[in-house]
Amino acid sequence: MLVVWDYLPLILKGMLLTVEVALLSLLIAVALGILGALAKLSRSRVARAVAGVYSTLIRGIPDLVLMTVIFFGGQVLVNRIGELFGWEYIDVNPFTAGVLTIGFIFGAYMTETFRGGILAVPRGEIEAGFAFGMTPLQVFVRITFPAMMRHALPGFGNNWLVLAKTTALVSVIGLHDMVYNAAVAGGSTRQPFTFYLVVAALFLLITAVSDAGLRRLNKIFSAGVRRA
Amino acid sequence: MNENSPALAVENLRKNFGTLEVLKGISLAARERDVVSILGSSGSGKSTFLRCINLLETPTSGEVHFKGERIEMRERANGERVPCDRKQVDRIRSRLAMVFQQFNLWTHMTVLQNVMEAPVHVLKIAKNEARERALEMLDKVDMSERRDYYPSHLSGGQQQRAAIARALAMEPEVMLFDEPTSALDPELVGEVLKVMRGLAEEGRTMLVVTHEMGFAREVSDRVVFLHQGRKEEDGAPAEVFESPKSERFRQFLAGNLK
Repeated sequence: MLVVWDYLPLILKGMLLTVEVALLSLLIAVALGILGALAKLSRSRVARAVAGVYSTLIRGIPDLVLMTVIFFGGQVLVNRIGELFGWEYIDVNPFTAGVLTIGFIFGAYMTETFRGGILAVPRGEIEAGFAFGMTPLQVFVRITFPAMMRHALPGFGNNWLVLAKTTALVSVIGLHDMVYNAAVAGGSTRQPFTFYLVVAALFLLITAVSDAGLRRLNKIFSAGVRRA
Repeated sequence: MNENSPALAVENLRKNFGTLEVLKGISLAARERDVVSILGSSGSGKSTFLRCINLLETPTSGEVHFKGERIEMRERANGERVPCDRKQVDRIRSRLAMVFQQFNLWTHMTVLQNVMEAPVHVLKIAKNEARERALEMLDKVDMSERRDYYPSHLSGGQQQRAAIARALAMEPEVMLFDEPTSALDPELVGEVLKVMRGLAEEGRTMLVVTHEMGFAREVSDRVVFLHQGRKEEDGAPAEVFESPKSERFRQFLAGNLK
């Protein structure tokens, strides 16, 4: 067991990376999710079609496949475009690629989560905003968003937890996250089981902290809700 | 902004929903301090008419003038009519406060926050000033004590009074009431009507879609009766109620005055 202590700093360093990737991906996913939901509910046929293709395509393909396609394919694509303009060879940074890919994938799930949330906001509250002269942006920021979050939070929490675990996939594109480092430690000490258990425990820790955070958010966005 | 122009003028307003013609050319002008009651059975188009005035519904044709200023409309390539200038619409809406049948208070805000919201974010009034104004309006509708309550913890009558305070806080030039008492339990109707009566006495310009015959008869300066998208009756309450010209209005009255 003592060997765990030797490798713990390495694994914790990996955990830091895991958390970084997860939080940054979440930001992108939320932004894409809000845009996707608004597009799906918009009156523009083009916007609805684009968002529909996005959420259907992304949710229909395994994350691992998407990750490799976007990372390796993206690398090729960037350099093909670069050739046209005579750029030097561009090495896509795996951290950026990982964050963008995971954000892009979970943006599709967030799209559906936020769409459901927005649909649950009474139409009349939104209408009242317009009737008082608010701009569409003001109506969204002041009324629709705060009112929809309560309905979106259960799905949002779900997506976040799955997202956090999906970060393990970044090891396939060469990022030294917690899972990657655990595999290294397990390999060199011939005790893979021990280190994967450590990783499992650390993921549970992330989940527990998230749960507390989600409960807080739920409290904030449930202001004014009458409990039965 | 002509001094002599009516507060609100609607000319030959039509509205179709698909092939259904809901409003078949309605004109109405309200002078300042006028209280106009708009009556009609359900499906007569009275709510749609009110919602066309502040463009919650886009009229299919016809014009709306607010204080002599015409709301400019244009036609899109697909035939849909849209306002030319969203800013004009937002500005006019901010001076035409609306009270809804279902109150439509913002449920994630307290009563006070509801009343402060549009003055702060639309009229850009300083927060402390908006707060003072809000407290004054809440006092007027007798809701001061409930200012920190959320709408879900209030009765329908209290919510509607809060919604009226929210409208008043805009210091609107015209107030639109869309069946303000229709969603209330009978015993709560009185408290809302009392507030509206007070507003009428203050000389506010009000357009009220209602089923309350008592209010229409006693409080309003003018009564308009809509039937199947047309104006069938328009005049002072005394003359309209005593000697209705329209057979439909006579039937409507017979059905409503029990």
